[in-house]
Amino acid sequence: MRSVLCYGDSNTHGQVPGGTPLDRYGPAERWPGVMARELGVGWHVIEEGLSGRTTVRDDPIEGAHKNGRTYLRPCLQSHAVLDLVIIMLGTNDLKARFNQPASEVAMAMGCLVYEIKELKPGPGGSVPEIMIVSPPPMLDDIKEWRSIFAGAPEKSRQLALEFEIIADSLEVHFFDAGSVVTCDPLDGFHINGQAHVSLGRALAREVEAIGWPDER
Amino acid sequence: MPDMRFAPPNPLRIADRASGLNAVSVRSYNERLVLSLLLQSKDITRLEIGERTGLSAQTVSVIVRSLEQEGLIAKGEAQRGRVGPPTVPISLNPEGAYSVGISVGHRQVEVVLVDFVGSIRSHTVLPFSAAQDTNHPQFMTAIAKAIADLPRHLHSRIAGIGLALPGDEAELELTPKAARERFDALQEEVEREIGYPVYVQNDITAAAGGESMFGVAKHLSDYLFFYLGARLHSRLVLNHQIYNTTAAVSFDVGILRLEQEIRKNGNSPSELWERRADWPSFGDAEIAWQRELLEQMKSSIAALKPFVPVASVVLSSYAPQAVCKAICRELEQAMPGISAIAGNIERSPKAVGAAGLPFSSRFMVE
Repeated sequence: MRSVLCYGDSNTHGQVPGGTPLDRYGPAERWPGVMARELGVGWHVIEEGLSGRTTVRDDPIEGAHKNGRTYLRPCLQSHAVLDLVIIMLGTNDLKARFNQPASEVAMAMGCLVYEIKELKPGPGGSVPEIMIVSPPPMLDDIKEWRSIFAGAPEKSRQLALEFEIIADSLEVHFFDAGSVVTCDPLDGFHINGQAHVSLGRALAREVEAIGWPDER
Repeated sequence: MPDMRFAPPNPLRIADRASGLNAVSVRSYNERLVLSLLLQSKDITRLEIGERTGLSAQTVSVIVRSLEQEGLIAKGEAQRGRVGPPTVPISLNPEGAYSVGISVGHRQVEVVLVDFVGSIRSHTVLPFSAAQDTNHPQFMTAIAKAIADLPRHLHSRIAGIGLALPGDEAELELTPKAARERFDALQEEVEREIGYPVYVQNDITAAAGGESMFGVAKHLSDYLFFYLGARLHSRLVLNHQIYNTTAAVSFDVGILRLEQEIRKNGNSPSELWERRADWPSFGDAEIAWQRELLEQMKSSIAALKPFVPVASVVLSSYAPQAVCKAICRELEQAMPGISAIAGNIERSPKAVGAAGLPFSSRFMVE
């Protein structure tokens, strides 16, 4: 049995576009659930999505627990042994309060990769496969989130390239979610049910393409 | 001193993606390793690449993604319906790179345009008179035409031009006067006038390289290579390395010899030099010639045997494949334990091999 941890924000949590963090798609409708179904038996998919999660930043408003870096270690240890860690984060780092360019968000993704590589939660204390997923770009119309995400839509379109550069230089897998899904117009930065299906399927194909030798 | 883990990443590999092949990008050894592997076997998975190169899955993933975005490789359809997860095969993209190959023989100049997997996309034969003076516009025109045969938007994917030149003394004697001086100037001349990098190699070595890269010798690591041209030439290939000797020796049992035999019998040999699918039967002349040719091949193999265990022989030629196959059959019968294979680059093995030169210097591991 192989284990994959899906580490993300509200779009991994399954938050419904235009809703609150408590409005959530069902487990089978969220992309990790779709991916689990697509991968089939032999795979244990662990869903770990938190609305408002950043890569490495304590959120002065929403709280320090939104920091993806501080929660990553306990999370990895809780769920070890892990064959694969998929990280899809970045959108929340673009909030105006953090004032970060896309390249800094990518650097922060790099931090998380280092954390995983240092902790080695893979089989036999190895480094597991790591896949960075760049979130789908935000739409220009983000409704009442305009001031919170001031300047973010433009930066969000640069994330894919910046993430890929980081993935290449750290030699980890990379997937651009924007290549298969777009955000829903209801709020401009969450993905809807259909997009969860598309993303889950696409990521299942990416996971398979990594190439997994037969388990002993 | 900042922690180097958090220094800015190097965006080079991705940043130069859109620029086509003309920007001289230095390829990592691992990228070359993956491309070389794909040239040997199409439709292999990332898992197999990892197993055969010893690279980690993540490293393979980075390389494959980068090469894919550059258009050098293409992903196939996922293979399902077998035990275990579906697999996604990867192959070289034939349209990923192109190259022009030129061979200067003693009777004619051949110019080919080949794609990344060695398929000939355009082929021109110039009679030698046209190339006697290398400034002769026809020679350059033939190269320019080969390039023009490729749609304009693909010109940035031309990896370069390969030039196969004779180095063999006896072969040079067959060519018009001052051939060597002329050949020496060719590289610079073509580079200057056509504007792509030019790679030069001895023509027989180039032909062996062509069979190794695109032809029947793809999967052979050790073999004895024969080239049947005007004369008979040979090269030894060990562990994929072609031994390129400066003391090139050739034997007068080639097609020129057959021509003499045919003339002796009072017939016309003109069909020998036409690049056609088949030769007519030349009767006794051909039988006599074939006997001589086989004797020479046998003695070359026998001479080598105390030093190198030769098990595979490749016979490459522009002569019809049926002729080469017949010779191979005879050779196998005469020498049990030897596997003789006719080359399958039927038109212009030297020129196709020359076209492989830009690929091997820019994309492959030695």
